[in-house]
Amino acid sequence: MTQVETRSAAAPAVAGPAPRFKRGREAVTGWLFVAPFVVLLVAFLLLPMAYAFKLSLYRSTLIEGEHFALFENYTQAFKDPLVREGVVRVILFGLVQTPVMIGVALLAALLIDHATSRFSRIFRLAAFVPYAVPVVIGTLMWGFLYSKDTGPFGSVLHIDFLSSSWVLASLGNVVTWQWAGYNMIVLYAALQGLPREVYESARIDGAGPAQIAWRIKTPMISSAIVLATLFTILGTLQFFTEPLILQPLNPGSITQHYTPNVYAFNQAFSFQQYNYSAAISFLLGAVVFVGSYIFLFATRKRSAL
Amino acid sequence: MTALTLAACSSSSDGDSDAGTPSGPVTVKVWAWYPSFQKVVDLYNSTHTDIKIEWTNAGAGQDEYTKLQTALKAGKGAPDVVMLEFQELPTYQLTKHLVDMGKYGANDLKSQYVDWAWKQVSQGDKVYAIPVDAGPMAMLYREDLFKQYGLSIPKTWDEYKQQAEKLKTASAGKAFMTDFGGNDGGFMTGLTWQAGSKPYTYDTSNPSTIGIAVNDEPAKKVMTYWEGMVAGGLADTKAYGTTDFYNGLGSGKYVTYLAAGWGPGYLASVAKTTAGKWRAAPLPQWTAGANDQGDWGGSSFAVTDQAKNPEAATKVAMEIYGATNTAAWKIGIDEAYLFPTATPVLESDAFLKKKYDFFGGQTVNDVFVPAYKAIAPFSWSPFNSYNFNQLTTGINGAIEKKTSWTAALDTAQANVTQYATQQGFKVQ
Repeated sequence: MTQVETRSAAAPAVAGPAPRFKRGREAVTGWLFVAPFVVLLVAFLLLPMAYAFKLSLYRSTLIEGEHFALFENYTQAFKDPLVREGVVRVILFGLVQTPVMIGVALLAALLIDHATSRFSRIFRLAAFVPYAVPVVIGTLMWGFLYSKDTGPFGSVLHIDFLSSSWVLASLGNVVTWQWAGYNMIVLYAALQGLPREVYESARIDGAGPAQIAWRIKTPMISSAIVLATLFTILGTLQFFTEPLILQPLNPGSITQHYTPNVYAFNQAFSFQQYNYSAAISFLLGAVVFVGSYIFLFATRKRSAL
Repeated sequence: MTALTLAACSSSSDGDSDAGTPSGPVTVKVWAWYPSFQKVVDLYNSTHTDIKIEWTNAGAGQDEYTKLQTALKAGKGAPDVVMLEFQELPTYQLTKHLVDMGKYGANDLKSQYVDWAWKQVSQGDKVYAIPVDAGPMAMLYREDLFKQYGLSIPKTWDEYKQQAEKLKTASAGKAFMTDFGGNDGGFMTGLTWQAGSKPYTYDTSNPSTIGIAVNDEPAKKVMTYWEGMVAGGLADTKAYGTTDFYNGLGSGKYVTYLAAGWGPGYLASVAKTTAGKWRAAPLPQWTAGANDQGDWGGSSFAVTDQAKNPEAATKVAMEIYGATNTAAWKIGIDEAYLFPTATPVLESDAFLKKKYDFFGGQTVNDVFVPAYKAIAPFSWSPFNSYNFNQLTTGINGAIEKKTSWTAALDTAQANVTQYATQQGFKVQ
């Protein structure tokens, strides 16, 4: 999203030297093109964020009503062991999930790029289909598949996939299933854009297909990999839908504070703690922002973003 | 009465529609999730010309409450009349979002309800909701499986456990006496209510003071009992409302189902294939020969502070499932499987003598009605969603990690007390 923003905002500026009146008119035209986006951005992102920030500075209790509390909610969130538990879980989840996700997507993209038969199109579509399934429906479907009594795996393997020792891996599986195809398409598109003559010279130099894939193709699409990784990190930090949908199946292992987002949701809509919920959401937003910035900074040489 | 309102209406709408006063029927917006409610609404609209109900199904339980909270917080968008479960009422009373229906004649209905049910919805002369249905508890059991495994109907919880052990041996561990749904705060509270637990001492006339005893002795007794049942492999722990749970009810994995008054209808819809095999018996007792009962669920109609015409809204709340509205109750009983709270409906032949094919022709209300009448008064906290959350989180966590259930109650007690203090309550 950030990229779209900067690019479209920068568009009028690249117009170059031109007579003053013309530049003015072009600027207006440029703004007209950007206007729908700006309106949506303000209405659905900036205004709600400002409102949430205002909410987070107040405190409303059942008995005493609402009062200005400055950063009281934030201090509480920092001290709240349930928030900390969620954050730690999400980070742990991300550390495992992100490499697995990108690895699977990259492998699939390289394989499909290498295969020249017409089956590669079918594989490409098949890998992408899960992304076309709405997250809620996909998660519900996995909920049935995971069932220990009636699901196809549980009854054979005698594993309770939603028990506390398995649940994180099970959720990871749902997320990978859902998003690997999408990331794969991003990486595959980047592979399609590479100049073919590079492969040829590599072959002449004696490189095999595996070497070409690992030493030529992968480094050349590093900016796409960085982009896909960024999406994955953003998604992981906001981990919400999957645990929320699967929660009723085993509330003992997927608690109501499972991830910071789920916790914020429950604070607002189950316990009427709108202010505290806003503070947690705002903190989470800050973490997402800082996290993605650090990642981009660390990979700036490769990413070109 | 209908004739009267008809007459009144026709005289007023006789021409002077330009007089500035609205001449058409008053529209009352209602949120409810009762099954087959459309028919009840149609019935109401076809028999009234002064009021027209506009019904929305805003989701069941928490789904509806989430929308309602948001609308109340926003200051607009809430309905005039809303379906609320008993345990939710204090929350909305305290935040002053409910209209005192006593002002519009709701107190006249008091005599139609048993004491505990009326106390759930009122405070002195103030009436915050009209009760509709309740959930007295009973034990539904598979008669065929009881015969097959040689079980007898348990009258006490001790006997219940003995039968469970017998079942475990007879079925080689394939069948469970029941499933304990640790994800349902209402179910667990119903069971502790029967044992005499009083988790909250709360009176909305003194709203800032509350007594909290989530971990009182009766509650601990109940939880220790079920901890033993689960540890012994006598009760399963599938979450209620899940596919595995329904599957267990239909496949004979569970030979009893501890149900509320609305349970027979619910069971009939989720375990259709077992029709005719179930029977109902009273809930087992803690002391032999006693008649202690608990309630699980129960709903009412309340009028919100956003009602444009609170008087008309009160009228709707009083009349939709009114005690004399036999036609509406016929739908409510036959199609929606509601357990009526109004005594005249409860004691009518249509309800008391109704035979249920699903229960092999048994008149199951013989079991539920006496249970309903024996329920002791009970008070809820004004933060029930937090309360239920603590209960379910604690007990589910204990089930999952195989830790002590009574320790979970102690933790819940500490958390709820802390929450109440943060909310500004004086905790006694």
